[in-house]
Amino acid sequence: MISKRMFPWLDERLGISGIYKTIFDRMVPKVNWWFTLGSATLFLFALQVVTGIMLSVYYVPSPDKAYDSIQYIMNGVAFGWLIRGIHHWGATLMVITVFLHMLRVFFYAAYKYPREITWTTGVLLLLATLGMGFTGYLLPWDQKAYWATTVGTSIAGAVPGIGDFILRALRGGNDLSGVTLARFFSAHIWMFPLIIIALIGVHLYLVIRIGISSIPKENE
Amino acid sequence: MNDVQKVQYKERYLRAKRNGEKFFPESLYRDMLVMFAIFLLLVGLSIFIGVAAEPKADPSDTTYIPRPEWYFLFLFEMLKFFPGSLEWVGTTIIPGAAVIALLLLPFYDKNPARHWKKRKFAIGFMSVVVVAMVFLTIQAAVTTPPQKNASAVAATLPAQITAGQDTYSVQCAECHGPDGGGGVIKGVKGLEGFKMKAINGQDEMYTRTDNTLYNIVEYGQPDLGMPPFGKAFGGELSRSDIDNLVTYMRYSWDNRVQMPKEAAQANAIPVLGPKDIPSYSVNIAPIVKRYCVSCHRPGKENNNYLMGGYNDVMNSGDHKPNVVAGDLNSNLIRMIHGEKITAGGAMPPTKSLSPDLIAIFERWVKAGAPEKPAK
Ligand code: HEC
Ligand code: HEC
Ligand code: HEM
Repeated sequence: MISKRMFPWLDERLGISGIYKTIFDRMVPKVNWWFTLGSATLFLFALQVVTGIMLSVYYVPSPDKAYDSIQYIMNGVAFGWLIRGIHHWGATLMVITVFLHMLRVFFYAAYKYPREITWTTGVLLLLATLGMGFTGYLLPWDQKAYWATTVGTSIAGAVPGIGDFILRALRGGNDLSGVTLARFFSAHIWMFPLIIIALIGVHLYLVIRIGISSIPKENE
Repeated sequence: MNDVQKVQYKERYLRAKRNGEKFFPESLYRDMLVMFAIFLLLVGLSIFIGVAAEPKADPSDTTYIPRPEWYFLFLFEMLKFFPGSLEWVGTTIIPGAAVIALLLLPFYDKNPARHWKKRKFAIGFMSVVVVAMVFLTIQAAVTTPPQKNASAVAATLPAQITAGQDTYSVQCAECHGPDGGGGVIKGVKGLEGFKMKAINGQDEMYTRTDNTLYNIVEYGQPDLGMPPFGKAFGGELSRSDIDNLVTYMRYSWDNRVQMPKEAAQANAIPVLGPKDIPSYSVNIAPIVKRYCVSCHRPGKENNNYLMGGYNDVMNSGDHKPNVVAGDLNSNLIRMIHGEKITAGGAMPPTKSLSPDLIAIFERWVKAGAPEKPAK
């Protein structure tokens, strides 16, 4: 069989079995279902990326067209309603799972030596996930989106001293406009995802390198 | 953590690993199971709940009650504790402190113990914070009032066309006629005798884009006599209303696009079989809505004859009763036949109803003008 000779050839050059050994073929402590929350979050993020890319095929980030393009996704595109539904509910679920994942890490003291940096990257991931939620909420350009973002950005604008600067930086002017939409769109599909992907890379590298913590015993 | 403790921890961890399991397949199996369940949950939510339809963003509609995404509600609610000049405590100090406290947690939590019994303060503190967040979220969800004038949002094309037609009948028919045909205007203050051009033909539909039509309705053409309808200009229509209106006009009047069957059926005036007994709710209301309500509603010149519902149709007007059960000499019947009587002239003033619609009115009055169909 050709694959029997192909695999060693490829492995010699790509190191596939080494990757397999470090990632999959390793011993981990016996843990419980709470430890699935991290991979659940990872799965949800991957799902958001896939459904998000599909949505971006039809979505138009301009105040004139955004609302109509979403209507078209819901009514005109085959299974558009399903893709948007998964993206919508996936966002909600991802916030829940990230938060629960953080609580599980906290309650099992898994942030302590030697996993301090895993925790810190985790907190940044939590913030970036919330940033995704905040920027994504505006994109449908409906009443809920418009007014929630008006209030949200004005809350950021109440920071003493630099509030006015933050407000203008977020809105791209004094009021919500097409500039705001373009900014939020860019943040939602480029900036935050790239930040999250980079952070997940570090996060998972550390999880695999250090190994998943064990459930603390009474004497620990 | 000192070096001795570090070595101790590493030894204990190695033991736990040796007595543990393989990541693949045992651990990964649990992970995959959860992922699969999540996927099913998401598909289920999309099918059975979906995404709530909302009207288009409308900066001029300041009555809208803003509400953030639900996971920011607790912050929103917390701000209520910091009114006025203290606001920056809620917007900056507390969230900022929380983020820094989380980021640096492993560096100031020097307690080497890991079991919860030896970390009572940390566990207790975090539990209080989580309970407070949940409590604030619920509090916010319960206390925010429901949206005012939250009308159902037309999410599908047929629903949008229907909504647009309803708006057209109320707002536009008095000047442009029930179907955009125009004609010589009668019974409208300021435009008496004005010869209205048709807006439902190729001349209009081929040369006006949706955007143009939208702007005509939103801003009006005040110099020509077309009033503005956008909320920002003193009108009654939101952006979604105008969008639906334009959709209705396009699908009904532009012969290059095909009216969806579903919408055509929903908007058709119900046909009456030769033996059927017409009733107000099934047969008369749709005709009144399309041909009469745009003038016969509050704030218009109409001898105080309002036609918003059964009771008004039967009992309002300066010359009431305008409908008398069983009496074909009722004002309404005479006027839709084009007779000029003390109550007024032909109704509708601009273009009379087609004979089959007049026949429905007559059969209804003859049958005793019932409100609901007989069972
Ligand atoms: C008070 C009377 C009045 C009402 C109500 C009214 N219009 Fe008009 N409309 C006019 C007049 C007058 C013109 C100008 C006609 C002309 O230019 O000959 C006009 C013009 C128009 C035109 C054509 C403009 C162009 O340049 O092609 C459109 C389209 C139109 N109206 C749509 C509507 C719609 C939709 C509504 C309902 C929301 C509406 N109108 C309600 C009086 C009215
Ligand atoms: C273009 C505006 C307009 C439309 C459309 C219209 N009306 Fe009228 N209607 C009037 C006005 C104005 C009066 C006041 C009498 C007059 O000036 O002729 C009136 C008066 C009446 C009256 C007498 C009310 C009273 O108590 O004095 C009846 C009945 C009536 N209309 C029936 C109808 C019916 C039925 C329709 C629909 C098929 C209709 N109207 C459509 C403008 C309108
Ligand atoms: C996009 C968001 C995140 C993803 C995709 C993610 C993914 C993961 C995965 C797959 C693991 C393996 C163990 C497990 O599943 O529990 C893990 C562990 C870990 N995560 Fe996250 N995580 C995210 C956010 C966070 C957050 C918000 C925190 C905390 C503030 C955090 C802190 C940690 C720590 C400390 C570990 C090691 C736990 C241990 O060894 O027991 N992570 N993460």
